[in-house]
Amino acid sequence: MTHRYRLGIDVGGTFTDGILINEDTGGTRIVKVPSTPGDPSVGFLAAVERILREAGIGAADVGYLVHGTTVATNAIIEGKLAPAGFITTEGFRDMLEIQRQIRPSLYDLLFEKPRPLAPRYLCFGIPERLDASGSVVTPLDEQAVARAAETLRKEGVESLGVCYLHAYRNPEHERRTREIVHEVFPEAAVSLSSEVAPEFREYFRASTTLVNAGVRPVVERYLSSIEARLRDAGFKGQLLVMQSSGGVLTFEAARTKPVFMVESGPAAGVIVSAHLGEVLGFDNILSFDMGGTTAKTGLVEQGAPGITKEYEVGAAARAEHGAKGAGYPIRTPVIDLVEIGAGGGSIAWVDSGGVLRVGPRSAGADPAPACYGKGGTEPTITDANLVLKRLDPDHFLGGEMRLDEDAAWRAIEEKCAGPLGLDVVAVALGIVEIANSAMVGALRRISIQRGHDPRDFTLVAFGGAGPVHANRLAAELDIPAVLVPMSPGTTSAMGLLVTDIKHDYSATLIQRTDALDPEQVDRLYRGMEERGRKALLAEGMGHAGIGFERHVDMRYVGQSYELSIPLDDGGAGGALQSMLRKFHAEHERAYGFAAPEEPVEFVTLRLTAVGNIAKPKLRELPRGDGDAAAARRSVRQVYFAEAGGFVDCPSYDRYRLPAGGAVEGPAIVEEIDSTTVIHPGFHAGVDRFGNLLIRPAR
Amino acid sequence: MKVDPIKFEVLRNGFLEATEEMALALRRSAYSTNIKTRCDFSCSLFDRDLRPIAQSFSQPNHLGSMVGTVRQAVLEYGPGNLGPGDQLVVNYPYPSGAHLNDIVVIAPFYYRGGIHGFFGNLAHHVDVGGGAPASVGAFREVYQEGVIIPPVKMVKAGEIVDDVFRLILSQIRSKRETAGDFRAQIAANNTGGRRLTALFDRYGPEAVNFYMDELIEYTDRRTAAELTKLPRGEYAAEGYVDNDGFTDRPVRLAVRVAVGGDGVLFDFTGSDPQRRAPVNSTWAQTYSAAAYALKCVADPDLPVNEGFYRHVRLEAPEGTVVNCVHPFPVVAGWETQVRLNDTIFKALAQAIPERMIAGTKAMQCHAGFGGADPRTGAYYCYLETLGGGYGARAHSDGPDAVQTHGQNTENAPVEETEINYPVRILRYELVENSEGAGRHRGGLGVRRDYRFDDHEVTFTILADRDRWGPWGLFGGQDGRKAYYILNPDGEARELGSKTTVDLRPADVISYRTCGGGGYGPPEERDPALVLRDVREGKVSAERAREVYKVAVDTGSWTVDEAETARCRQPGRATA
Repeated sequence: MTHRYRLGIDVGGTFTDGILINEDTGGTRIVKVPSTPGDPSVGFLAAVERILREAGIGAADVGYLVHGTTVATNAIIEGKLAPAGFITTEGFRDMLEIQRQIRPSLYDLLFEKPRPLAPRYLCFGIPERLDASGSVVTPLDEQAVARAAETLRKEGVESLGVCYLHAYRNPEHERRTREIVHEVFPEAAVSLSSEVAPEFREYFRASTTLVNAGVRPVVERYLSSIEARLRDAGFKGQLLVMQSSGGVLTFEAARTKPVFMVESGPAAGVIVSAHLGEVLGFDNILSFDMGGTTAKTGLVEQGAPGITKEYEVGAAARAEHGAKGAGYPIRTPVIDLVEIGAGGGSIAWVDSGGVLRVGPRSAGADPAPACYGKGGTEPTITDANLVLKRLDPDHFLGGEMRLDEDAAWRAIEEKCAGPLGLDVVAVALGIVEIANSAMVGALRRISIQRGHDPRDFTLVAFGGAGPVHANRLAAELDIPAVLVPMSPGTTSAMGLLVTDIKHDYSATLIQRTDALDPEQVDRLYRGMEERGRKALLAEGMGHAGIGFERHVDMRYVGQSYELSIPLDDGGAGGALQSMLRKFHAEHERAYGFAAPEEPVEFVTLRLTAVGNIAKPKLRELPRGDGDAAAARRSVRQVYFAEAGGFVDCPSYDRYRLPAGGAVEGPAIVEEIDSTTVIHPGFHAGVDRFGNLLIRPAR
Repeated sequence: MKVDPIKFEVLRNGFLEATEEMALALRRSAYSTNIKTRCDFSCSLFDRDLRPIAQSFSQPNHLGSMVGTVRQAVLEYGPGNLGPGDQLVVNYPYPSGAHLNDIVVIAPFYYRGGIHGFFGNLAHHVDVGGGAPASVGAFREVYQEGVIIPPVKMVKAGEIVDDVFRLILSQIRSKRETAGDFRAQIAANNTGGRRLTALFDRYGPEAVNFYMDELIEYTDRRTAAELTKLPRGEYAAEGYVDNDGFTDRPVRLAVRVAVGGDGVLFDFTGSDPQRRAPVNSTWAQTYSAAAYALKCVADPDLPVNEGFYRHVRLEAPEGTVVNCVHPFPVVAGWETQVRLNDTIFKALAQAIPERMIAGTKAMQCHAGFGGADPRTGAYYCYLETLGGGYGARAHSDGPDAVQTHGQNTENAPVEETEINYPVRILRYELVENSEGAGRHRGGLGVRRDYRFDDHEVTFTILADRDRWGPWGLFGGQDGRKAYYILNPDGEARELGSKTTVDLRPADVISYRTCGGGGYGPPEERDPALVLRDVREGKVSAERAREVYKVAVDTGSWTVDEAETARCRQPGRATA
């Protein structure tokens, strides 16, 4: 009876969520324990222990554990990276100091640049040089490498990154450097740019490599410690960690390339949205995850999550639209998210020009929204929703916590309505609408700005606050349907259990398509496939479960932004014409014009090696009579602008809604970890898994 | 109509997002490194009366200058002559443009048959013809600087006007890149149009126009309130551009900032007469210096639109280097303009010393070159600008190696440059000991060396700071000056800051830009910070001892407290 369960543990800022799935029945069990930021492994193990105890099973019954963690991001944001060494080409040791030479804020004379990823005395320029074709111009000075390694050893550095100019074309000098470092300094963890992110543009590659080097000791210690304790407890299954790109990595792989898991946490929400879409038959999904401090939107097209290669890690919340240079760029694939400072705890305020604003400051968990009665006095989005009666003060968190309506009312009155000379309800509505407009903006950015029409998508809403707002957002953007999964508060954690093992590889090959050497393309792909297959086999995958996805980054010759075009099975030679057609079409879609007469070039070949993992089944609701009336809890007056004010609105107990049932808006559906608001003119159906599907009423 | 504060906030964000979407479209589809990678461009939305409403996060310089350019171009061409789908192109400098490289593309915004606004975007083109590749260099009149484009239609009813397009391109060396960049500029305006159409569809023209007016009034109120917080008085300073490219006579810039009950006036009267040399700033450029300074002293949260710009008041007498007239050269006008900003902040340091900075790089520092690419035979052009040291502040050091003031362009990756152009970059590093010493030190300058191995190339340095480094404040020292050196490892020759040279194969040009000025006396600097700088090799141990009076033990990496106390004894003479 062993190995019947899968376990996902998602460590967030406030809570650590655990989700256990019985592989045979699809039955799930969920726990929430407080996170322990000082040592996140404490909260991790507490969650494991509790969920196993509640399920009455032992660690040996779990065959598969996936972990979502912010340990890498937090180390960067809190400046707790291990001091790393940096080895580069002579003349360029200041790459990490100079960065992009820009200021992250335009009009702030007191700005600061991000602190360099390695202090200058740990940066070494080595005589060696490759040209843009990868040919050796100056051979590697091996003595200089040995001297640098010796100094780094004396300085007590555990981890270092190597990034030589043009090493994406020829990794030999970097590989030789690692050998030499290990001769003088065997215990050093060495990260090579040609392995971590073999793409051109040196600062971006170096930054990726040094983020990897900096988080490596932190991640190594963390993963080793939880692994040891899990093994002690009798755990014998596979240990995996979520990557920023949405796949999972084995603990072993994550130890050497931790930069791939920097945004491990947020990826899960998009992945689970994609999975739900796949099960339910929606190819195109916009995911919308609204929690206490931020709202995150992601996009899934034809089942595949959008991926960005322009991510900056460690950038503080951006006050200025479009600002860049505030963090450390990483060039590993990261699920493309647009995140804005609008969560349940975002604070509303009146600015010096007499205008109502919402966020980016958040009351967070402390002092929390005014209505939590924990001493908060500033009005938040949650307070506004309470004043509008969209939240039920008696059924918040399943009634575990009573919300204080008077406190919410008072906070809005004192801080906003009074100064504006408006009444409290109008301001509460305003707070919600301003937050909604910001979230509509985020949805626009992830869809329209990336060349997608939101009308072709289904909005999947989760996070505690997501389902409160989702119906309205969808209406604004003419998104035809909103899907609210069961237990929206733990949807993200569910994402940990529906992913495949993935390894990403890339190779720069700048070659015009009219002079393309398809043999070379195929050869590079075969090499990457070999590495991927080897890694997956070593991780216990069978040959049958291994697959590959190929994309080529292409652009017009002379441009510097590429579009990723899929390359189907078979050789590059045969696929070229159809790839060119796709490229022109994609360019037209993304930027509003195509230039088919212009030459096109390949820039980067990308390969994802996928080890397919069987997905757990969603549990079906028992078949009922489809009548929702039995789930009706009460009727209260809820504010809807489109209905002209407060109107009678029934509330429903989500757990008693039967499959096939339907609820007409206005209506409120309540469950322990969230509330779904259905506006007048909309209709929510319940599918056989209990998902709510909100659409305009006919 | 009554102001609904909620709709107001929604539309304000919508306007801003329209300009950000324009910027994204322009950047991603452009061809030249200067635009696509270095982001030397800006995008704006104007209302039906040509008043600026919103601007993208980009180059503050452009944003100020574009305010005048778009207005002048549309009025001159006649809004009635602009149909749906038409776009104008313009780079005429006087008085409302900048140098010829900065080409603005303008589109009217039509909604239900009427004009309800305008989009404009400005991009610095890598070449616009003229006397040297990349269209930088010292010339005697504007006609030598490149193609001059009055407002003409480049796009008619959505189609490129081929005659105009070909006529312009034929003046330009880097035809393919430039054609691609123009297409990207046109696409950017179209992108803005789509976004604004969605807002008009949703809220109706009457409401959107009403809230554009309201946004201006709101910004006006807030700006006025901000400016009353400044201490009243008159604050004067003078600054210099080191030379003009033909003579060594420094170019004097006079600044008087008058803060009164009616706001802030920037008076540049007393600045030198215009010169037959590239250092003349146009009215629009000088205006953008004043606008940038005003924005820096106001609340950073303040939106930038007509309501803000109407508080930008300046005196810049015609016929001077701060408001030149036809046909005086303009290509290095930004060098003068950015120095004006340094000078304004020097003046304001008397009023608000805690919020101001010591002298910064405050030059554009262009490196432009071109020739026949030995790989293809095609004429290529390349342009970039280099960062330098930032000025120290009352409570913090000036950052190393950044762009300053209205200039915030990125560096081009060495690898990208070497892939696309026949050049090798030999070094790109900080210039040690270049900081202006102080209680808080200025930032370090950068060094960048270029070598051309296999072909002849024409190289232009268009920069400054080759005589004086940026000034220190309140006892802080000046930053080290800049150096421009031909063949530093061979028969080294120092070049002037405004020089065009023909290079032979294997010649090297080395830039070492200036450090930022220091703030407060260096002997008051925290010895722990001096130790850090020495440890990092940014400041030598000798310099630490001599200038900061701090003795660093470079064996143990500690401050020698006793020796430092002795060095810092009051009344002790400088070593």
